[in-house]
Parts: sequence; structure tokens; C-alpha cells
Amino acid sequence: MSDAAVTLTKDRQKLELTALSAPAVLFTVGMIAFPVIYTVWLSFQSFSSTGQQSFAGVANYTRLVSDHEFWNGLWVTFALYVLSLVLQLFFGIWLALVLFHAKRLPGIVRSLFISPFMMPPVVAGMMWLVILDPSLGAANYILTSLGLPPSDWLASPTWVIPTIALIDTWQWAPYVALIVLGGLQSLPPSVYEAAQIDGASPFKTFQRITLPLLLPTIVTATILRSVDLLRFFDIIYITTQGGPGNASNTLNIYGFRVGFEFFNIGYAAALMLTLTAIVFGAVLAFNRLRNAVAW
Amino acid sequence: MKARMLAAGMVLPILAVTVTVAVSAAHAADFDWKKFQGKTINFLANNNPISQALLTHKADFEKLTGMTLKVDGYQEQQMRQRLVTVMNAHSDEVDVFMTLPSREGPQFAASGWYADLTPMTKNAVAGDYDYPGLSQALLKAATYDGKLTSMPMNIEGPVLYYRTDIFKKCGINEPKTIADVEAAAKKIKLCDPGITPFVSRGLKPALPYTFSNLLHNMGGSYMENGKSALCSPKDKQALETYSGLLRDYGPPGVVNYSFPQISALYRAGRAAMAFEASNELRTVMEGGERLKDTTLIPFPAGDGGQVPTAIGWGMAVSAYSKQPEAAWYFVQWATSPAVQKLLAVQGIAPPRSSVAKDPGYRKWIDEQPVRKEWQAALDVLAAKGSSEVGYPIVANPESREFIGQAVQDLILKQKTVDQACADADKALDALIAKK
Repeated sequence: MSDAAVTLTKDRQKLELTALSAPAVLFTVGMIAFPVIYTVWLSFQSFSSTGQQSFAGVANYTRLVSDHEFWNGLWVTFALYVLSLVLQLFFGIWLALVLFHAKRLPGIVRSLFISPFMMPPVVAGMMWLVILDPSLGAANYILTSLGLPPSDWLASPTWVIPTIALIDTWQWAPYVALIVLGGLQSLPPSVYEAAQIDGASPFKTFQRITLPLLLPTIVTATILRSVDLLRFFDIIYITTQGGPGNASNTLNIYGFRVGFEFFNIGYAAALMLTLTAIVFGAVLAFNRLRNAVAW
Repeated sequence: MKARMLAAGMVLPILAVTVTVAVSAAHAADFDWKKFQGKTINFLANNNPISQALLTHKADFEKLTGMTLKVDGYQEQQMRQRLVTVMNAHSDEVDVFMTLPSREGPQFAASGWYADLTPMTKNAVAGDYDYPGLSQALLKAATYDGKLTSMPMNIEGPVLYYRTDIFKKCGINEPKTIADVEAAAKKIKLCDPGITPFVSRGLKPALPYTFSNLLHNMGGSYMENGKSALCSPKDKQALETYSGLLRDYGPPGVVNYSFPQISALYRAGRAAMAFEASNELRTVMEGGERLKDTTLIPFPAGDGGQVPTAIGWGMAVSAYSKQPEAAWYFVQWATSPAVQKLLAVQGIAPPRSSVAKDPGYRKWIDEQPVRKEWQAALDVLAAKGSSEVGYPIVANPESREFIGQAVQDLILKQKTVDQACADADKALDALIAKK
């Protein structure tokens, strides 16, 4: 076969492959693009209480600036995000080290420790709601049995954020642990052997070898948890619905209520797009960090 | 001439009534339950005790009409979320849905989401439907601009459950006034420190249901001259009384309390008084421990007398349904005397006096004293009740948010009553002004 004929056959194959995959690609792009474009369009609309719709320009976005609830939601979202992320990374790494060094029944120990994140968040929320009930819950029973003062937990404006962060840490620290465990198992043994020969203590080995080598894995875990934490919804909705007062009213909860309880779909769309921009910003920043710490 | 006119004046109305009755009777005689055989009705249900009880008889409806009933059931808020999506898309996916006229009625009616049931109740009713037998107050509450938007499924409202044994131990008589409730709570706190004296709703969006009853009993009202009136003396007093009862005598964490927590606390024997929905009776009495030591009354009177909150779930036909007549058959069956009799003995308070007087239902009521008290309280609700829960405006659901916020600010001592009511009034006036 001549070169020209080969090229022609290759071009034809390319064309055929493109034609065959085009419907699937178009469908997938459409499925992703349509909701986004529709939400952007909604964010420029105004909906009256009776559902009457009109073009609002950027009014929904300018309203954000003067909306006290938006700024409160932003603050609550970030407070919950930072606290939960720090706790989950700390306990996740610790748990990964425990699981990595577990000698007895490692399979059972790992399954047991990672089980919380397999539980549906609604079930986890309901379970913790019962445990943390200030009157009937087990948590206060244990505290008072130990002679400690009871807490209002989710009903206290001061403690609601730390309490929700603890619930989320209980559920998702094992997920971080699983990712970090994968990273630990892929570390080269030669550097540990060298450290052992040099007489490095276990702490120094962790500080100087394990942690730096694990950084890309930790950043990956951070990205995955950041996306989830900035969009935090389920456990808050089940346990406090944003209360007491507005103490746990994250942007996501606020947007949901504005849209589906107060039927202001346009403003809810603007709120959600702002949240999406924040999530994208965080992911881009962490991606840069990941590239910087890659080895 | 005069006599002839008088005779005509007397005869014509009689003739009109006779013709109407005759036409209605003819419609009733023509009525055929199998008219829409083979069709499928899509029912969006709130997964609450009413729909749960109703759907145990689903097969009866399908057998009677030859139609198929497809049920899409969710928890209350998720049901509304689905409904908003469906209705905004003008979709015919839902034929019949459950609705709470006291909450979303004005909003859904103004949005044009309800089909007008008025012609159907006149032209397509079975002979035994007994439309006039339904609670006229609830029908009125579901009528907007002359259009009947839903048929009542039940009647309910907040009532006061209290422990007779604790009252006896502490030497307290049945509370007759709101001041008596406060005094009883104070006495119980001293007499039995291990028990919560009083519990009611403290969760922000849920509390207007119980707070409205207390507000109306104290002579307050949400609006005066088209403006929010939470800073009026009576409203401020109601805000202070309700929040004071929960703050000083309620359980820790009451700001997160709605019906599940209240029922659980009272059922466990940890509260002396619970101001909660009448339809929580079955949950409160589960296990039977509270059957013998509980009395149930409408919330005691205040300066405004006794104005209990009385609401009911309704069944509506979607304005976008492509088969509203067939959908109406399901609504009619579900709200018929025969079905409501079946639901009544499952603890769903009937919105029909004929069912409330039915011997079978009376026998069920007479089986336990607490059921008698429950029915007596419901009779008061039906006779004197107000369905105003939150502001009587289109944005009613949002108005509840600000009422709840004001009460929570006081429970948590985050604001003085003047600050809390002023902040709420400012937000509510903006809401009232919004079209």
C-alpha cells in the first residue's frame, strides 16, 4: 500500500472514530454545560413570591454585598471548613500511621476504622443528633457520669460549629486516612533503611522523611475534602437546619433555603454560583500547591 | 301585581334550590367511579402519618376506579422542593399533591399552581361524598379569590399535654390561663427538679406553629394597618412569655426542638407539659407509658381568650395536570366520608363532623380517656380555631423565619425584646412590601 493510501486510511479511521464518539461527547458536555448555563441565566432573573419572573441584570449579585446573611454564611462556611479540615488531616494522618503499623488482623482493623465514611451522611446526622441531645443523649450522660458539666452541643451558638466539625471529622477522617495509607504504602523503603543506618529517631524519621514525602498525597486529600467541606450541607441540614439562630447557616444551607423554602430562585442561583466560584478558587490554589510539592 | 311579584319572589328561590338539588342529584346518579379506568394518577405525598394511613388503602382505590396510583413520597421539606421544581417547569409529572394551605396556600394560589376544584365539587361528585359535611373553616382557609384549591384531609393544631401525676404531686390544678401555665412550670421546677417543666417548639422555622396560638390567645396579631406589629405591647408580651417559658423551664438545647424531640422527651417521661401538635398523640402514647398519666387540653386562654391554631393538610390537583378530572377522582376518594372513617381510627382527626360522630369512631374514642380529651380539644379547635400561622402574606414561609429568629434571640438572650422585635419588624415590613 502506498504512503498516500495509508494516510487516507488513517484519516478515515480518525473521522470514523470522531463520528462514533461525537454523540457521547456531545451528550456528556451538554449534561455538564446545560445546568451551569441555566443556573447562570437564573442568577440574572428576579422571581417574585408568586413565581413571576423578570430580567434583573446584576441585581442578585449586588444584593450579595449588602446581605448580612450572605456574609454570615461566608464566615460560617470558612470557619467550619478550616476547623474540619485541620481536624480531619490531623486525625486522618494519625489513623493512617496506626493502620500502617497494625500487625494484628490488619484487614479487620482497617475495615473497622474506615467504616464511618461508608455510612450515609443522613444516617450519621440522625445518629449524632440523638447522641448529642442535651436532655436524652448519651454524650451528656457520659459527661455527667464523669462529674463533668453537660453541654448544649448543637443547640449552643458557641459550640455548634466545633460540634459539627467533630461529627464530620468522625465520618471523614477515615477517608483521609485511607488516602494517606495508600501514600505510605508507596513510599520507597530505601530512604527508611538509610535513616535507620544514620540512627534517626522515629519522630525525626516522621518529621524529615515521611511527612515531606507524603505531602503530595496530603494535598490530594486536602483538595478532595475542601470541595466537600465548602459545599457542606447534609449533616447541618439534618442536625440544626442552620441554627441556633444563624450560627451554622453555611452558604449552601442559606442558598437552599432561599431557593426552595422562600422560592427566590434567582438570588439562590447567584448565591450558589458564588459558592461554586469559591470552591473552584480553592481547588485551583491547592492544585498549584500540589504541583509545587510533587516529587 | 304586588302579590304576583311576592309569589314570584318566593317561588323563584325555592325553584332555584330545587333545580340545583335536582341537578346535583342527577350528577351524583350519573357518577361512575370507573370513568377513568386504565389511567395512572401521579401523587406527590408528604410522608407523614396522614399519607401513611391513607396509602394503606391504596389497593381499594385502584380496585374501585380501575386506575393506577403512582406514589412519589418524600419528607415534608423534600416534597416541597420537588414540587417547586415540577411547578416551575410547568410539568404535568404530578397530578395530585399534598399541601398545607396555612403555610404555602397564598403563595401557591398566587403562582397559579392549584387547579380550581370548585366546578368539580359541583359537577363530579359521588352521591355519598357529602361536600357540605367537610369543615367549612378549612374549606374557607383553602379558598383564594373564590377558587377552592384543596380538599381537607385532617384537622390538627397544637394542644397542651400534661402529666396529671406530677401536677398532683406538686399540688397544681389544671391550668386555665397562660399565667397558670407559667405558675405551674415555676412550681414544678421547685417541686421536681429532675423533670423539664415545659417543652414546646424552639426550632426557628417550626416554632411559629405553637407561638401563633399563644400570640392569638394573648390578644396579639401579626399585622396592624398593613405593617408588622411584633413590637406592639401584646406581641412583645407574647414574645417574652413564649421565650421565657422555653428559656426558664424548657429542656437544654430547646432551640433545636421540633415535634420529634418534643414527643420523644414527653414520651420518655422527662417533661411535665408539652405544647405540641394534636396529631402527635399516637407518637406520644407509643409504648403506653403516658396513657394513664396524661391529660390533653387546648392551650389555656390569655387576654385574647382562647384562639387555638387549627390547620389541616389538604389534597390539591396540579394546575398543570393533563388529567385533572381523573385526579379529582382520587382527591374525592381520599377525602370521602368512607375513607376518612378508616383514617380516623388510625389517629387521623377527621375534618368532617359526620365522621367525628360516627359510632365506629366514637367507640374507638371511648376506648381510652385520653382519646376523649383529644377529641374534645379538637372540637374546640374546629369551633374556635384560627389558621393564621405566621404572617397572612404570600411570603408566609419566609415570614416564619423572622418570627423564629426573634424568639430564638430571646431564648438565647442575644437581644432584648425591643431589639428582637424591632429587627424582626424591619425585615417583615420589607417582606410585606415585596410583591
